[in-house]
Amino acid sequence: MIKRVSGEQWLAFGIILLGLFMAWQLQDIPNDAGYAGIGPRFFPSLVVTGLIVAGGALLMQRRHSNGPDTILSDGENDAAEVEAEDEFARGDADWRMFAIASGSLIAHMALIGLVGFTLAGTLLCFGICRALDTRRPTLDLVLSFVLALGLFHLFKTLGLNLPALIPGGVL
Amino acid sequence: MESLNALFSLGFATALTPANLLWALLGCTLGTAIGVLPGVGPAVTVALLLPVTQSVDPTGALIMLAGVYYGAMFGGSTTSILLNTPGEAGSIVSALEGNKMAKAGRAGPALSTAAIGSFVAGSIATVLLTLLAPVIAGFALQLGPVETFALMMLTFAAVSAVLGNSPLKGFIALMLGLSMGLIGIESQSGQSRFTFGLMPLIDGIDIVVVAMGLFAIGETLYTATYENKIAGRIESLKGSFWMSKDDWKRSWKPWLRGTAIGFPFGTLPAGGTEMPTFLSYSAERKLASPEAKKEFGKGAIEGVAGPEAANNAAVTGTLVPLLTLGIPTSATAAIMLSAFQQYNIVPGPLLFDTNPELVWGLIASLYIGNVMLLVLNLPLVGLWVQFLKVPRPLLYGGIVVLATMGAYALRQSWFDLMLLYIIGVLGFMMRRFDFPVVPLVVGLIVGPMAEKHFRRAMSIHQGDLTVFLTHPISLAILTVTAAILIVPPLMKRRQKMLQA
Repeated sequence: MIKRVSGEQWLAFGIILLGLFMAWQLQDIPNDAGYAGIGPRFFPSLVVTGLIVAGGALLMQRRHSNGPDTILSDGENDAAEVEAEDEFARGDADWRMFAIASGSLIAHMALIGLVGFTLAGTLLCFGICRALDTRRPTLDLVLSFVLALGLFHLFKTLGLNLPALIPGGVL
Repeated sequence: MESLNALFSLGFATALTPANLLWALLGCTLGTAIGVLPGVGPAVTVALLLPVTQSVDPTGALIMLAGVYYGAMFGGSTTSILLNTPGEAGSIVSALEGNKMAKAGRAGPALSTAAIGSFVAGSIATVLLTLLAPVIAGFALQLGPVETFALMMLTFAAVSAVLGNSPLKGFIALMLGLSMGLIGIESQSGQSRFTFGLMPLIDGIDIVVVAMGLFAIGETLYTATYENKIAGRIESLKGSFWMSKDDWKRSWKPWLRGTAIGFPFGTLPAGGTEMPTFLSYSAERKLASPEAKKEFGKGAIEGVAGPEAANNAAVTGTLVPLLTLGIPTSATAAIMLSAFQQYNIVPGPLLFDTNPELVWGLIASLYIGNVMLLVLNLPLVGLWVQFLKVPRPLLYGGIVVLATMGAYALRQSWFDLMLLYIIGVLGFMMRRFDFPVVPLVVGLIVGPMAEKHFRRAMSIHQGDLTVFLTHPISLAILTVTAAILIVPPLMKRRQKMLQA
């Protein structure tokens, strides 16, 4: 029977890959600076081994379990109850909203040096509001601008210089 | 008694200066205000406010951050009681009974017992901290790199195996934290590691970026993706605000028991507030009078009083290993440690000799902060409830803007914003697949320290690995570490066999 690869298994693959990538990078660290055989490469080697082994164990754990619920229902006390409730509360993923939130963060990153903190921050705050399914976008846009402008001036007075649209300007 | 002397002659003298009182008040107020926001726990509150303290002197800054830490805890209970959205593991239990009480129109007494219980527990725990810290610091002076490394191993084992529902996931989170801690220049040899030729990575990854990424960005991505349709309901504050005589009678014992459970857990490297609050909850449930027992699950005041006290006592307890050993045992303590490092102050046994004004001033300010918070949270609770009414989209928008600003302010570079986003996506995935984040944060901060002590131990003992087993203190610590890793799975297996 062919089983669908679960999200957690993809994650386990990712962790193993990360471990392997780091193992490859280990070669760039010279090991002769150490004393008594313990150089700057020793500790990273342990961590890399730990990552690969743990990633492998996570992969195996999913294979052996019969369904998504077997691991969760292991606990016996209230902690497990709360955990189970949390699991129950998770609805279907809305990836469009994830994309809006991510896009806002990336746009902010690209724009902050160009248009300054206030405008980039307004855009970011408004974007996050959209990603959280706001019911009153116009008001949020205005409030985002007020918030970003307020923070910009508050931190300017506190001596923290954030980039402005025009150097020394009010935005 | 020497410690009482130091507390009064040095501590209160430092903490009671107008400037430091102001920092404490500012910290408590900001901490409560931000901590009350749903989904924002103490760790992210401290991280968000870290940049604000950059222009303040170290003593003032740490007094303010301690106020923020405490304030965020007080604010967090308000949110879990009225909105049932605990900001961190420690207030999950308060939400169980507290929110039920609020639903039954008893929000006032629930908030009161939480605030007074936190005050009682915080004050008793601070007394214990005052008496214990110098003793432990004196003992810690005798610990060499071998023993310190063993203690750090114990911390790693405890935070990854004890917290959360899967030790394997805890271990993976720890490894991810340790990996991040490896990035940058290694302190002993000056070699750069895992920098991929990128200049900004030479200094390593800043904990502020990690904490904001995991807690603020990760949480926002998660909420946007999974929780848009879940609407929270704020319970209103109606009826009497004060606790009745009966409420007092039912609360005082749980407060004291909660303190007794919470403080020792906080001091152990098995840190965190999750375990003691759950323990306190189940203890209160067992010890409750027959009538009160019936109320459990429907809003029993004991179920709020005990865990809230345990939570605050444990938080104060985490300051013991942080101040005396320099080992953080919770995410918030790790961020506090980085605040010390920001000023080139190394917490540990020597701190009591090198910076006595700072340590004792900080401890004295905890007493003062507790009183401030009681005043801020009891008569003024109606004010904080207004914060809960901020619509969720705007709230998260504001938090994300603050988080990006904090990351950007570090070096004025978009590179930190990119790191912030990448770590945010990691936080999102960890949240989605139920990975605990505390091991990651602790691993990131303690990892480089552990490596330093390990290599120091090896150079003193000519690379002889058996020193960890021949030094008696180290052997004892490592035995406990092994027990933490081995015993719980064995007990689970036995239980399964008995059930089968």
